[in-house]
Amino acid sequence: MDFDTNNTTPQREAITFSATGSEYFRIWIVNLLLSIVTLGIYSAWAKVRRNRYFYSSTHLAGSSFEYHGNAVAILKGRIAAVVLIGGYNIAFQISPVVGLVMLVLMMAVLPWLVWKSLQFKLYNTSYRGIRFGFDGSARQAYKYFLWLPILNTFTAGLMTPFLHQRLKRFQHTQSRFGSSNFSFDATVGSFYKTYLLFFALLLAGFLVLIFIVFASVFAAFATSANDATKASGIFGAVAALYAWAFIVLPLFLTMIQNLIWNHTRLQQHQFQSQLTWGRTTFIMLTNLLGIVVTLGLFSPFAHVRWLKYRLEATSMLVHGSLDAFVAATGEQVSTTGEGMVDLLDFDLSM
Amino acid sequence: MQEDHAALAARYFDGQTSRLYHVTLSVRDGQAVLAGDIERSCPLGELHVSERSSHAVRKVSFPDGAYLEIANQAAFSDMLHDTGHRDGWVVRLQQSWRGALLATVATVLALWLSYQYLLPVVAKGVAYAIPQSVERQLGQGVLDFLDRHVFAPSQLDAARQQALRSQFARLATPGDSTPEHRIVFRKSKIGPNAFALPSGDIVLTDEMIELLPDDQAIMGVLAHELGHLQQRHLTRRLIQTSAVGAGAALLFGDVSTVVATLPPLLLDLKYSRDVEREADDYAIAMLRQNGIALEHLAQVFVALGKLDEGTPYLSSHPASTERVTRIRSAGH
Repeated sequence: MDFDTNNTTPQREAITFSATGSEYFRIWIVNLLLSIVTLGIYSAWAKVRRNRYFYSSTHLAGSSFEYHGNAVAILKGRIAAVVLIGGYNIAFQISPVVGLVMLVLMMAVLPWLVWKSLQFKLYNTSYRGIRFGFDGSARQAYKYFLWLPILNTFTAGLMTPFLHQRLKRFQHTQSRFGSSNFSFDATVGSFYKTYLLFFALLLAGFLVLIFIVFASVFAAFATSANDATKASGIFGAVAALYAWAFIVLPLFLTMIQNLIWNHTRLQQHQFQSQLTWGRTTFIMLTNLLGIVVTLGLFSPFAHVRWLKYRLEATSMLVHGSLDAFVAATGEQVSTTGEGMVDLLDFDLSM
Repeated sequence: MQEDHAALAARYFDGQTSRLYHVTLSVRDGQAVLAGDIERSCPLGELHVSERSSHAVRKVSFPDGAYLEIANQAAFSDMLHDTGHRDGWVVRLQQSWRGALLATVATVLALWLSYQYLLPVVAKGVAYAIPQSVERQLGQGVLDFLDRHVFAPSQLDAARQQALRSQFARLATPGDSTPEHRIVFRKSKIGPNAFALPSGDIVLTDEMIELLPDDQAIMGVLAHELGHLQQRHLTRRLIQTSAVGAGAALLFGDVSTVVATLPPLLLDLKYSRDVEREADDYAIAMLRQNGIALEHLAQVFVALGKLDEGTPYLSSHPASTERVTRIRSAGH
């Protein structure tokens, strides 16, 4: 098919997110209460409710997404996760040998679980009645989630940007919408550039801060200030280092998310991501503050704010029409991995 | 069944292709009827309607995977109402502010009650259920670690160590059984200290022995630490903090791990004050049983109280004056 010849002006379709913090707060608090009184069993249903609400609130070109995940399947995964994680934590306290055996076991099953989770997550997402899917093989999953990370530890982390690119390429090229695959063309070089910029900024800030700190500490000692001033000087310096890290981290997040989505396509339709550093930092800082001040009650609002910003910064350049996608046939997906990966807290969404 | 509703505009997808069909939905004789780009009807009982919410689009799915999106929420709610469709109780709770407020109060109450009453009971049960061999290994690593980083061998001569050990061994203990224990002497870089590890090791620093006025006071300290062992305090504490940590991570984990580590820290401080009192009570009972005046134990806290308030031993413990008063009043 040749789309470019007869359709030259793409139409920009922005993602919109209609969920609100106040409505999610009500869903969240009821979910929380039921999860507590059922000793966590309800949390699987809570997850389905939350996802249904968020997916149905996400619109692209006038249609919304849909979540089809099955609560019983998620619950089974969560139970398996509790057993495995519990066993893992106890194992090292029993003896180093048992601990080591558990560690190896965990490493052996994790890539498989992540792989299953990717399949589950995508298969249970639909748009315009067509389900997403994930093609990648178990062998590839072991390569990208086990062998390459292990290899990376031997290179003192120098391979990280390369690994990140390979992982995203794997994830995005193996994902499909119906029978149409996504594609990904960000280069390894562009990942290295982003990581380098991040580290350069982080380091520069630290050097400046350390310089200021040393100067002030010397000043404090020279004027023979009392211990309280010295302590508060050092405390202030540490706080400043944390603050700097907290400001630079959103920059990295912004750059990497823009990089990834600006190089992802679904057939001829190109994605665009336009997150900005300032706004990301502002949202992250105010969210953290809000959660601490309200002892956690703000967290559903924080969640919606962050999700809304991230989703709405994304748009799709539609070449032609979105009407031509076809469902894949004969799909079957196992659900083992999902609850597990949930509990282990992997976020593969970025 | 009412039939006088105007047909609702809807978007239909067939589940096979992404093609959008503009249709209208109406209800006739217990059947949902679609007209427009596609004509279709289906008995109401076979359809699935997504949950009500004020900001998400509602969907009606057909058994074969086809579905409708309906933007006009209010009109659709009316239509559903007329067909006898009712929201589940969870949805009704979620959609009303009163329900949400009620859920908030109930959640806070449930969290507080389970922290206050359920968690200690569970932690105690689990602690006593853990085989002693496992508990032993738990503490062994800690002592090895401390020996490497904090402690030096004790300067106390072996005869004196042995004398203290056998003096303590001669004392009767309250309760049905005496927990297995071993008294270890160490020289520390952190000043006067005494503590019990789940392995059964009671560590006493040279500095602590120097600080105390007489051997009876040392017996008081040892009795206090034996109380910790008897009640399996450290194991219980480990279980509790990890439970609170896991709970906090589940509550706030998706937003920030930094925030999630705070609650266990804060709640742990209160816990330690409670267990110190429990251990004091054990020591009081033990001294009494052996006819040792409680004043010896009180002197321990008088001596500790004279030290700088900032030492680590004191920070997580009840104020010394409070404990002295408590011990003295137990003597009457």
